[in-house]
Amino acid sequence: MLPSFSYVRPETVKDTVKHASARGAALHAGGTDLIGCLREGIMDVDKVVSLSALADLYGIRETADDGLTIGALATITEVAENPLVRNKYPGLAQGASEVASPQLRNQGTLGGNLCQKPRCWYYRGEFHCLRKGGDMCYALAGEHQFHAVFGHDRICVITHPSDTAPVLAALGAKLRVAGPDGGKTIAVENLHVPPRDNVLTETVLGPGEVITRIDLPRPAANLKSSYRKVRARRSWDFALAGVALALEMDGDRVENSRVFLSGAAPIPWRSRSVENVIRGRRLDDKTIAEARAAIVENADPLPGNTYKLELFKGVIEEELSAMGRPE
Amino acid sequence: MAQDDSIYYRQGLPVPETPEPGRDAGFWETTDIVGKRVARVDGYERLSGAAVYPSDIKLPNMIYGAILRCPHPHARVKKLNTAPARKMPGVRALISGDAPESGGLQWKYDDYAAPLFDPHCRFEGEVLAAVAADTRYQAWDAVRAIKVEYEVLPYVSDHDQALDDKAPRVHESGNLVGSDEYIRGDADKGLSRADAVVEQTYQTPCELHTPMELHGCVANWDGDRLTIWESSQGVYAVQSRISEVLEMPLSKVRVIGHYMGGGFGSKLQPGKYTVLAALLARKAARPVKMILTREETYLCVGNRPANTMRLKAGARKDGTLTGLDFACTGPSGAYPAGGTSLVDWQIRDLYQCDNVRCSSRDVYIHAGPARPFRAPGHPQGSWALEQMMDDLAEKIGMDPVELRLKNIPEVSQARGNIPYTTTGLRQCIEKGAEQFGWKAAVKKAREHNRSNRAVKRGVGMGACVWIVGGGGPPATVAIKLFRDGSVNLNMGASDIGTGTKTVMALVAAEELGIRPEVIQIEHADTGTTQYATPSGGSKTVPTESPTVRNAAIDVKRQVLEMAAEDLDVPAADLVYQGAEVVSGSNSEKRIRVTEVSRLKKRGVVMGVGYRGPNPEGKSVNPFGAQFCELEVNIGTGEVSILRFLGAHDSGRVLDRLTYDNQVFGGIVMGIGLGLTEFRQLDAKQTGKLCNRNWHDYKLPTALDVPADMVSLPIEIDDPEANNTGAKGLGEPVTIPTAAAIANALYMATSVRFTRAPVNPIEIRRHL
Repeated sequence: MLPSFSYVRPETVKDTVKHASARGAALHAGGTDLIGCLREGIMDVDKVVSLSALADLYGIRETADDGLTIGALATITEVAENPLVRNKYPGLAQGASEVASPQLRNQGTLGGNLCQKPRCWYYRGEFHCLRKGGDMCYALAGEHQFHAVFGHDRICVITHPSDTAPVLAALGAKLRVAGPDGGKTIAVENLHVPPRDNVLTETVLGPGEVITRIDLPRPAANLKSSYRKVRARRSWDFALAGVALALEMDGDRVENSRVFLSGAAPIPWRSRSVENVIRGRRLDDKTIAEARAAIVENADPLPGNTYKLELFKGVIEEELSAMGRPE
Repeated sequence: MAQDDSIYYRQGLPVPETPEPGRDAGFWETTDIVGKRVARVDGYERLSGAAVYPSDIKLPNMIYGAILRCPHPHARVKKLNTAPARKMPGVRALISGDAPESGGLQWKYDDYAAPLFDPHCRFEGEVLAAVAADTRYQAWDAVRAIKVEYEVLPYVSDHDQALDDKAPRVHESGNLVGSDEYIRGDADKGLSRADAVVEQTYQTPCELHTPMELHGCVANWDGDRLTIWESSQGVYAVQSRISEVLEMPLSKVRVIGHYMGGGFGSKLQPGKYTVLAALLARKAARPVKMILTREETYLCVGNRPANTMRLKAGARKDGTLTGLDFACTGPSGAYPAGGTSLVDWQIRDLYQCDNVRCSSRDVYIHAGPARPFRAPGHPQGSWALEQMMDDLAEKIGMDPVELRLKNIPEVSQARGNIPYTTTGLRQCIEKGAEQFGWKAAVKKAREHNRSNRAVKRGVGMGACVWIVGGGGPPATVAIKLFRDGSVNLNMGASDIGTGTKTVMALVAAEELGIRPEVIQIEHADTGTTQYATPSGGSKTVPTESPTVRNAAIDVKRQVLEMAAEDLDVPAADLVYQGAEVVSGSNSEKRIRVTEVSRLKKRGVVMGVGYRGPNPEGKSVNPFGAQFCELEVNIGTGEVSILRFLGAHDSGRVLDRLTYDNQVFGGIVMGIGLGLTEFRQLDAKQTGKLCNRNWHDYKLPTALDVPADMVSLPIEIDDPEANNTGAKGLGEPVTIPTAAAIANALYMATSVRFTRAPVNPIEIRRHL
């Protein structure tokens, strides 16, 4: 059952920011996550602020400098199917197409996908866990086969549920954010908050701050991007292990790379160890073998999810092999 | 009203012969409508939304019920303060254990009677109080306003630990619900004579029933008469249970369930919620709608119990099975509910083996009681036996199909060697393997695996028998023939989504020569329709279809008697031809059915059919075999099922569309057991259910099942089974699926996955 709340649909970003700044306000984009959160009573909300009247938050357009700007309210389906996205950033199109199920992709938005609440079954269930203001993480000593192997610091072991965030972070995307103090820009890779910084929130966005657009830089001519996700069932599921790659190639060598993992950590997890291994090298068997070892460096698996290390090795091998294959 | 000839599918030709009074109907040698691909008679209603399910019922002045449930797996209620809830807006009735109307009321689990409201809560979700209010929101707000003090008690979640000395007791008597032993021959001796012996432990997960429509009902009192619209597999079963609990005459309890959105065994009985709705409705003097939430159904109204199975099997080099030794543990849950029920049936009865020992221990744990789940026990036992057959085949160097064909029993060994009326086990395996292209597929997969490192292929199979599936008495069906020739079929059976109404329309159409779509069906209403047992056990078709046939024959006999008066010839000389009745000796003598004087005068002829007995000294059982081909991504543990074939002997196919539907649905459900579904309890900390939504409880999706599914009916005439020759289908189709997948996974990976479900987690743990 939903709690009792008021509903507003402001027509300007300014009004939206004002409404959203109020205590107990929640933003409503696609609502696919919000409604579930309200129903499950995991956040106290008495005002739902709809973004749907904000024209500025729609549309996918090329920018003057050959980049791309995507409205925060672009649906995941729009992102997955947009020819510009598919052409310039195939990894983002793949990431979007791996989200949830067709119905949810039609309704869910890119901005909302970045701001999802965790899918930990303790967080979503009747457990007063650390992230909900309680005094313990139940998953740590409990049932954590779906939980994090990196970056949890044994504080809270959620994985960040987004499939688009790791790709956007790999592609160097930036968010335009409106807020009480005016506008600002946040790199997607800096959006999410690890538990050691604050276990009560998932993003750096403060009260009243609204993502309006997601901007992607002009893709380098030699950019190759991809996203690969493994899950417990083929649709409508979050990542057990996923890898987003953005590689700038110099012939058959990797010049620069950004590698982000999903299903790995409470935030989209940058694997600098893999980036270091592949930099300047051909994606041959030797490099891939080293990348396999590198991807699990510094992992801190829990007793019930050590399998994820093997899974990440398998995924990075498959993805780098595919990238290394001549087109 | 003039006769409309368009209602007949054939004219001028006889429908099946009408047996003389007192004689049984003969077996249909051929059929015209039965066996064809006929769309659902209620397809329009179901697809358009016009069909009214219990969840759709809205009555004038109806209010809404909600239930307060214990959040702990084991707790004692120290104090329950309902006063704040009573003052909440919209609240019209509240009941709890101390209310006078609930005093002495009991709820039975098998033979175990517990108080309706028990302050000693033995599972998460146990009922403590119920509220009815003007809106659902008000009802839930009131439930939340009830103050409860619990003494939280230690719990046991794991059935394998339930019998430990230190395990918290679910009941005073201890945690053993019961044990069972079956012995045939001497298993130890048999195993000692084997050339190859294999022993293995297998585990299957607890699965949660997930019918599309939630459990629930609407209850309404009219004076001392109670009417319940229940999402149910059997209205008479609900009537019986509710009249017993509320101590009311059966005649005063009317249960209606025209449409229902699936049950899979969990709706063979009403729930405590049904009683609560009735009590609240009486107290509030208003109709009460009580539809559970998905979270509640996951906690409270059943599951397929998890099982731990140990199997030891031996075979000689020539493939002869010499011994099977099986032991199994499983949880009923917090009350007796068949935690190991029928798990050993495949071991007892599927393959020829003289030396069999089966033992089982059913235990209590602090979790929701089990309920029958499509082919109770069978897929679990199959998971063990069918994998072991493959292991044995490998050990003795025999093809798995060959090994099974070596061990086909001609009689039901577990029933003292009585014969089956028919057994299609051999044909299911042989013809299934042939159509699947078994040998070629095995060869192809092995070749593929020699040259591919990353993605491996496997093919696998499994066979099955279903313990019942022959149906049987009692059942009564009435068919009314109106004076315009149209027909009304009246039966108590529920159509649980399997197409019962459509199948019965075909049977009546076959006998009467009328197109099935003009047969109006009244069903599943204890107030107005005939007696039927619940739709479960894959027995509805073999129970109801002969009964429908008998009712149609009774109509025809009566019409022939009446026409004999009009034509002045003996009834025995007359032939029923659908539109007309014609003299066999003088074809000049004929009369249209709608012109028969007594029919015109009476307005209607009513025929009544009863289900006759099953054959004595024989067993009626469906058999099957399933084959699958899949790919495994070795690096990621992802499994793609490429294709499935189900070859099933369920006697005569009555409607090929609904038949194939069951085969495909059974395979999909079996894929859930094999690859995706499991209940997760927070066993180490709270004992509470972790996965209580559709993301965390992972039903297979469209992408998890292959587009390439083939249904291959193995039709064997079975005139002894019953007069339509149909056997049950809905359950056997899900028995061997998971095991066939496991066998294919073994070929692909060389790893025996003994614990289901085999998701990427499980695969990566072993590769």
